[in-house]
Amino acid sequence: MRNYEIFSTTADTGIRCKGRDFRELYGNALRGLNLLLFGANLRSTSGCDAVPFAFRGDGPENVLVNLLSEALSQVYGERRRLAAAVFRRAGRSAIDVRLLLAPCRRPPRVDIKSVTYHNLRVEERGGVKRAAIVFDV
Amino acid sequence: MSPKEWNFEEIAPCRWRLSRSADGAMVADAEVFATRDILRQALADASIEQVVNVACLPGLVGSSLAMPDIHYGYGFCIGGVAAFPADGGLVLPGGVGYDINCGVRLLASSIPAGEFAPVAADVGLALLQRIPTGLTPRSNYRLGKKEFQRVIGGGVREIVRSFAAEAGDLEFIESGGCLPFDSPGVISPKAYERGSSQLGSLGSGNHFIEAQVVEEIYDPDSARLFGLEKDRVAFMIHTGSRGFGHQIATDYIETFRKRNLGRLKLRDPQLVHAATGSAEGKNYLQALNAASNFAWANRQLLQGDVIAILERILRQGRDKLGLRLVYDQAHNIAKFERHEVGGEAVDLLVHRKGATRAFPPGHPDVSERYRAVGQPVLIPGSMGSRSYVLRGRAAGTAAGTFFSSAHGAGRRLSRHQAVKLASQADVRERLQKSGILVFSLSVQGLKEEIPEAYKDVDDVVAATVASGISEKVARLRPLLVVKG
Repeated sequence: MRNYEIFSTTADTGIRCKGRDFRELYGNALRGLNLLLFGANLRSTSGCDAVPFAFRGDGPENVLVNLLSEALSQVYGERRRLAAAVFRRAGRSAIDVRLLLAPCRRPPRVDIKSVTYHNLRVEERGGVKRAAIVFDV
Repeated sequence: MSPKEWNFEEIAPCRWRLSRSADGAMVADAEVFATRDILRQALADASIEQVVNVACLPGLVGSSLAMPDIHYGYGFCIGGVAAFPADGGLVLPGGVGYDINCGVRLLASSIPAGEFAPVAADVGLALLQRIPTGLTPRSNYRLGKKEFQRVIGGGVREIVRSFAAEAGDLEFIESGGCLPFDSPGVISPKAYERGSSQLGSLGSGNHFIEAQVVEEIYDPDSARLFGLEKDRVAFMIHTGSRGFGHQIATDYIETFRKRNLGRLKLRDPQLVHAATGSAEGKNYLQALNAASNFAWANRQLLQGDVIAILERILRQGRDKLGLRLVYDQAHNIAKFERHEVGGEAVDLLVHRKGATRAFPPGHPDVSERYRAVGQPVLIPGSMGSRSYVLRGRAAGTAAGTFFSSAHGAGRRLSRHQAVKLASQADVRERLQKSGILVFSLSVQGLKEEIPEAYKDVDDVVAATVASGISEKVARLRPLLVVKG
């Protein structure tokens, strides 16, 4: 498995991501979402707004859903897409992050409405954390 | 246990039962209404495991049910039906879905198909220009907070009052197009923000407006009551509560998780739930009603757009065109209903996710005009395939489903698989060769919705009828599709 990849269920779609630590896992989840929405990740962060966010949750699944929901909200609500994420803190139940956001120059390829908890479990195998997140489309 | 090992028994034609003894955690049986082939597909895509997961929920009344359009969703399968006691039972946002009161509305007309054909392209273009589709932020109705609150409190009644919609339509909308809502505080600012700019829009995905021709009548008496006449054009609208419902679902799944997840032993966290009598349960039910009202209002406004465009292009009024609402029904909803269980009338909260209500003849909640034959059941096919109108059946098997039915063809291929398949041919051109005009701003959306992505609606309807849950009334063929 790559660091992040797209998968499909019959009705919906999702991303699988992995990382050696939570910082990598969350970062790759954001990259996977970008790939799903726009077909690629941005290479440059010039002209981006740096916006700080803090997410607290009852576990990594909750934190992941909140983080991805915010990224979606930026795309559909603010018309801004993620260029990069700079984590100051990334743990099981908390993230402090600066999201570098660029204006959306074209609409996303898919209309993702929500991040679900469907079968969502952050698991660790061989020192690598893994998660699969299903989106409502 | 591998999903293929589930040992279903066919207890009646197209009615399969998995005994609760199949899994130690099941508190009720699971029942799937399907042909052998549909059941095989459900076993392959793991949706049966989702039916089993629901059968493990405490307090489930009757069986965990799946309609013939069953396919893999999240939490509940799509096509899933589950009932819990109204008092002391459970409410699950995952048993409704994110697009609260996603539903279908059918408008009959006296326009002969032959007279519609020359103007079909003009109608399609006008609809696409007028109605916001897909991801576009454009909205025809930007409402202030107070106006918006009136809409989510009054549903279609408010549209009748403020937008001069036809009051006579109310009788032909499930629940009269309005569920009780009087707690604006249970809805987050974000949901208000998303909702207030999306009223009167179609959305994306599988949402559509279609012009269809009534191709075949199976039950002339019911068809006459429903206003359906062979070779006349009808209009079908499929959409829901847009971002408003999605935000409400997201908010309450989060709330339920925070308050309850720790003490619930769930196979799938998407099945998080609360008691109907708990504060969070009551708040969700209120918010659910608000989103349902939004969705009915949304479809009413879209119907108004369709009628206005037809009146302009055909230069005749609604009455002259014979435009009348056949029915508007929800297929993602949870509602309080009274059903007979074990010979006693019991108040239940019935969750239908990708399933429709199909009340039988004589039911007091069926509009008086239709009461002798039962509630209309609308089953749209995939883009380019036929749709059906059915009606609810009395007692027997239908009662065991809490009078529920299928809601559509049900997906067979993932969106990714569909796009891959569709790239080999121009979808629009292919459908045009079959006599179907397609209007959409999204090429990707069209590819995702190719007919091959769905089960054969004929098979779904055959299973629905053979299992005894609904009766066929009419079949409609698409002439024009406007896709979100």
